[in-house]
Amino acid sequence: MMTYQECAFEDEVLAAALQSRWPERVPAELRKHVEACAICRDLAEVAGAVNAAREEMNAAIVVPDAGRIWWMTQLRVRREAIRTAGRPITAVHVVALGCAAGLAGACFGASSAWFQSALRWVSAFSLSTLWNSVGGTLVPSARTLVIEHGAMAGMIAMLLLVLPAAVYLAIGRD
Amino acid sequence: MFRDEAFDAIHPLDAADHAADLTMDEETFRAFYERTATGVWAYLVRITGNRQAADDLLQETFYRFLRAGATHESEAHRRNSLYRIATNLARDAHRRNIVRPSLALGNSDMDRIAAGDETAGTETSADVNRALSRLKPRERAMLWLAYAEGASHPEIAHALGLNPASMKMLLFRARRKLASLLRGEK
Repeated sequence: MMTYQECAFEDEVLAAALQSRWPERVPAELRKHVEACAICRDLAEVAGAVNAAREEMNAAIVVPDAGRIWWMTQLRVRREAIRTAGRPITAVHVVALGCAAGLAGACFGASSAWFQSALRWVSAFSLSTLWNSVGGTLVPSARTLVIEHGAMAGMIAMLLLVLPAAVYLAIGRD
Repeated sequence: MFRDEAFDAIHPLDAADHAADLTMDEETFRAFYERTATGVWAYLVRITGNRQAADDLLQETFYRFLRAGATHESEAHRRNSLYRIATNLARDAHRRNIVRPSLALGNSDMDRIAAGDETAGTETSADVNRALSRLKPRERAMLWLAYAEGASHPEIAHALGLNPASMKMLLFRARRKLASLLRGEK
């Protein structure tokens, strides 16, 4: 197990290595200390080598022009802003579409005799059968309420489930 | 203490840079980019081991940096944020397998890095490259930030998302390891 050790001269040695003063332009006492101290020897060797590698590398590095990076970034930021601003509009569109569909359905339901008779038949048949078999212990008024408005409640519940999912899908696609 | 100081002490800035407004307009960005881009690129090459990936990640790093639009209390703080973004992007790319690091011993990409493709680089820098390529990415990143960028312990910890209290120990171990490799002990 490697135990951590410190030396009081570390900072001095490191400064010399990073400022390319090591080993020629440092006091003789410091050089003498480094020869005897394993910590400072490691530090001088590693810092000197890494710093020299960096300096050599710097001479050959060609990075893109600052103006190009700035321009590309501005373009991307603008595109992203437009996309982000468009998200609430899409959500409003979806909600409006849902409302329009609901309204159209309600108008159709209110004006169509065929639809109303079909709805009554479905409600009376399916829900009364269900309640007769399992709902014998229920309060009669609650039973009547469910039988009369069950289909409507079902439709509202469906709308509440479908609408957020549609909004999520619309925004997610963006 | 030297190691707790910002690395501006090693790579001093002009007085004008210190006085510059720390929010980013184009002119400020250009100046900041000129000062930091080569360092960030070199750092990205070191941790990814891939020049092409470093090119892409460099652009992405500056894009994320600008998009964040954060105000920084000092030049060193701004530079720390940049290195943190670069580290996270490199880590993320590595996780998603976008970068295929060629970090094996004797990797030619690493050897060419020292002095460009045209020359072979000095023997010493080739040795350093080979030794560095045998370290773990985190060890390479730590040593590079400390001894190539002159970053302090808190700065390295911030850039790598590590606990500042454990930095001394981690850096000590990585340094020992690299020193042994440079001496050909391992």
